[in-house]
Amino acid sequence: MPNGVSLRYRYICTLFIAEMSKNPIITIEGLTKTFRGLDEPAVKGVSLTIHKNEVFGLLGPNGAGKTTIISILCGLFSPSTGKVTVDGFCLEKDLGEVKKIIGVVPQDIALYPTLTARENLEFYGAMYGLAGKELKEKISFWLEKLGLFHATNKRIETFSGGMKRRVNLIASILHQPKILFLDEPTVGVDVQSRTVIIEQLKELNAIGTTIIYTSHHLEEAENFCTTIAIIDYGQILTQGSPEKLIADCPGAKDLEDVFLSLTKRKLRD
Amino acid sequence: MKTRLLATIKKEVLILLRDQIGLSILFIMPMILILVMTLIQDSAFRTLNEKGIPVVFVDNDQDTLGISIYKGLKGYSLCSLTDSIDGKPATAQTAKEAVSKGKFLMGIVIPKGATKAIRTNVSSLVNETFAIEAVPADSMIAKADSVTILLFIDPVVKESFIVTITSNLREFISSVKTQIMYQTFSEEIEEILPSETKAPNNMLAKTQIIKYKEEYGSNLIGEIVPNAVQHNVPAWSIFAMFFIVVPLVGSIMREKKEGSAFRLHTIPSPYLLLNTGKILVYVVVCILQFMLMLSVGLFIIPLFGLPALQLGNTIPGLFTMALATSFAAAGYGLLVGTLAASEQQGAILGSLSILLLSALGGIWVPTYIMPEIMRNLSNLSPLNWALEGFYKLFIRGSGISEILVPSLQLILFFIATLGVSSAIHRWKRQR
Repeated sequence: MPNGVSLRYRYICTLFIAEMSKNPIITIEGLTKTFRGLDEPAVKGVSLTIHKNEVFGLLGPNGAGKTTIISILCGLFSPSTGKVTVDGFCLEKDLGEVKKIIGVVPQDIALYPTLTARENLEFYGAMYGLAGKELKEKISFWLEKLGLFHATNKRIETFSGGMKRRVNLIASILHQPKILFLDEPTVGVDVQSRTVIIEQLKELNAIGTTIIYTSHHLEEAENFCTTIAIIDYGQILTQGSPEKLIADCPGAKDLEDVFLSLTKRKLRD
Repeated sequence: MKTRLLATIKKEVLILLRDQIGLSILFIMPMILILVMTLIQDSAFRTLNEKGIPVVFVDNDQDTLGISIYKGLKGYSLCSLTDSIDGKPATAQTAKEAVSKGKFLMGIVIPKGATKAIRTNVSSLVNETFAIEAVPADSMIAKADSVTILLFIDPVVKESFIVTITSNLREFISSVKTQIMYQTFSEEIEEILPSETKAPNNMLAKTQIIKYKEEYGSNLIGEIVPNAVQHNVPAWSIFAMFFIVVPLVGSIMREKKEGSAFRLHTIPSPYLLLNTGKILVYVVVCILQFMLMLSVGLFIIPLFGLPALQLGNTIPGLFTMALATSFAAAGYGLLVGTLAASEQQGAILGSLSILLLSALGGIWVPTYIMPEIMRNLSNLSPLNWALEGFYKLFIRGSGISEILVPSLQLILFFIATLGVSSAIHRWKRQR
C-alpha cells in the first residue's frame, strides 16, 4: 500500500472520529444465535456499537462467529435473542428498510458464471432499483475504476480470481450503500487485486460509507480498519482502534501478536 | 417492481440460452420420450392383437363343443391357436410339456365326451320337464358326470389374460349348451305335440334378438377412436412438463451453491419476486415443450404408421390446460428447490417425487385398474388433475367449460406451492 494514500486515509478517518462517537449506525445488544440442532450458541450475548464512517474489522479464528454476526446484520438469519438496530431501523421489524441501505460482499463469488460482467452488474443493479442510463453509467464507471473495462463483455467463468473479486465488489456497491459488509473480500487474490480492492474501499469510506469487514489478513486489517473487535467462541474478547489494542497488549508488536495472545494457538475446526 | 421482474426474467433467459446442452436436453428429450413411449405402447398393443398369444388346443371331444370352442378361439385376435406341436397332433401330455417349456403360454384340453355329457344333461332336463306322471328320483335317467376342461397356464401369463380366456371359454360353452338345449327341446316338442304345433326351425338363431354396439362417449367431431396416440401424447406430455422440476431445482440449487442466492437474499425484494422471473421463464419453456410434443403427435408419429394426434375441439382449452399444468410444475419446482439443501438432494427429490406422482396420477397405468386406496390417493396427484383435463380435451372432446375444474385445481396447487415455499424460506431464516 503506498504510504501517501495510507497517511491521507488515516488523516480523513481521524477527522471523522469525533463525529463517529456521536452517531452510532449499528447497535447490537445481547445478540445470541443458536442454530437448531446445536447445543452451543454460535454467538453468545454480543454487544457492539459501530459508528458512522467507521471501518470496523471483525476478526477471529475460523468458527469464531464472524460470518454468523455478518449474516444476522444482513438479514439472512434472525437472532435467537438480542436487539439489533441499523441506522435507526429495528433489524427484525424493518428488514426491508435495512436491506435498502446495505451492501454485502460475500466470501464466495456471488456472480452468475455464464453471464458477462456487464450482465451480472445490470442484474444486481436492477435488483436494487437502478435502471436505464444511470445504471449503465455506474457500471462503466466502476468497471473502469477497478481495471475491468476491457473485460466488460466477457463471461465471469473466464475471469481470474482477482477479476471475479473485483466484480463481486462492484455488484455490492452500485447502489451506493450506507453500510457495506465485506466477508473476507480479498481472500485468494494476488497483491495487485488486493491493493485495488482496499484502495477502493478506502475511497468509499472517505465519501461516507460505513464498512464492516472480516478477514484473516491481520496486517491488512491493521492498516485498513479504524476499529477492530476480536471475537472467539461467539464472544467479543476486545475492541478498539488497532493502535489501542496493540498498546493494551503487553509485549505485542502488531495486531497478529494481539490476536494470538487473545485467541491462543489452539487449532480450530 | 417492474424493473426487478424484467431483470430476473432477462437473467434467467440468458442463463438458459447459454447452457446449450441443457437447453437441447430440455426440448429434445421430451420429444424422444413421447415418440418412444407411443411407439412402444402401440406396438405392444398391436403385437397382442395382430399375432396373438400362443395357445395350444387339444380337442379330445371331436364334437360340437370342441369344434365351436376351436372355431371361436381361432377367430379371436388375442390368441394364436394351434392344435399341433412340432407337426404332430397335440395331446394333453404334450400340451402340458410344451406349456411348461414356455412354447405356449396356455394349453386348453377339451375332454372326450364333453358334448355328449352336455346332451345327456339337457335330455335329462327335458324329460324331467315333460314327464306327465311323477317319476321317482331314483328311476330318472342318470345324469352325466360334470365335464372338466383343463387349462395349462405358463406362470408368466398375466392374471388379466387368464380371466379373458376363461370368460371366453365360458361364453362358448354356454352358447353350445344353449344350442343343444334348443335343439333337444324342439325335437321333444315335435314328438309330444306333432299335430297341434310345429316347432320353428332354427329356433336359436331367432332368439338372438339382443345385440350390442360399441360407441365411445366422446363429443369429438368425426369418427375418432381412442388409440395409443390419443392416450400417450397427453399423458407423457404432462410427465415431461412436470419433469421441468429437475432443471428448475438445479437452477435454484446452483444459485445457492455459487453464492448468488446469498447476495439475492440481502437484496430488498421478497423471496417470491426474486423467483418470479425463474417461474415465468420455466412456464414458457413448459409451453414450448408442450407445443413441440404436440407437433410430434401431429407430424412425426404418423411417419411411423400410427394415426396422427387429434387436438380435440378447443384450442383455447388446450392452451388453458397447458398453462395451468406449466404453472403447477414450476411452482412444484420452486417448492422442491426451496426445500432441498443441496443440488444432489434437489435432483433426487425432484425426479423421484415426479416419478411417484406420475405413477400415482395414472401416467404409467390407468387409475381405473388401481386398487381403491390407490385410486383415492391418485386424486391427490396434480399430474392426475392434468391428465383428467387433457383426456377430456383429447379423448372425450370436451369444451373449455369442462376443463375449468382441473385447471383451477392446478392453479390452486401452484398458489399453494408459492405459499409453502415462502413459509419454508422464512423458517430456514429463523433456524
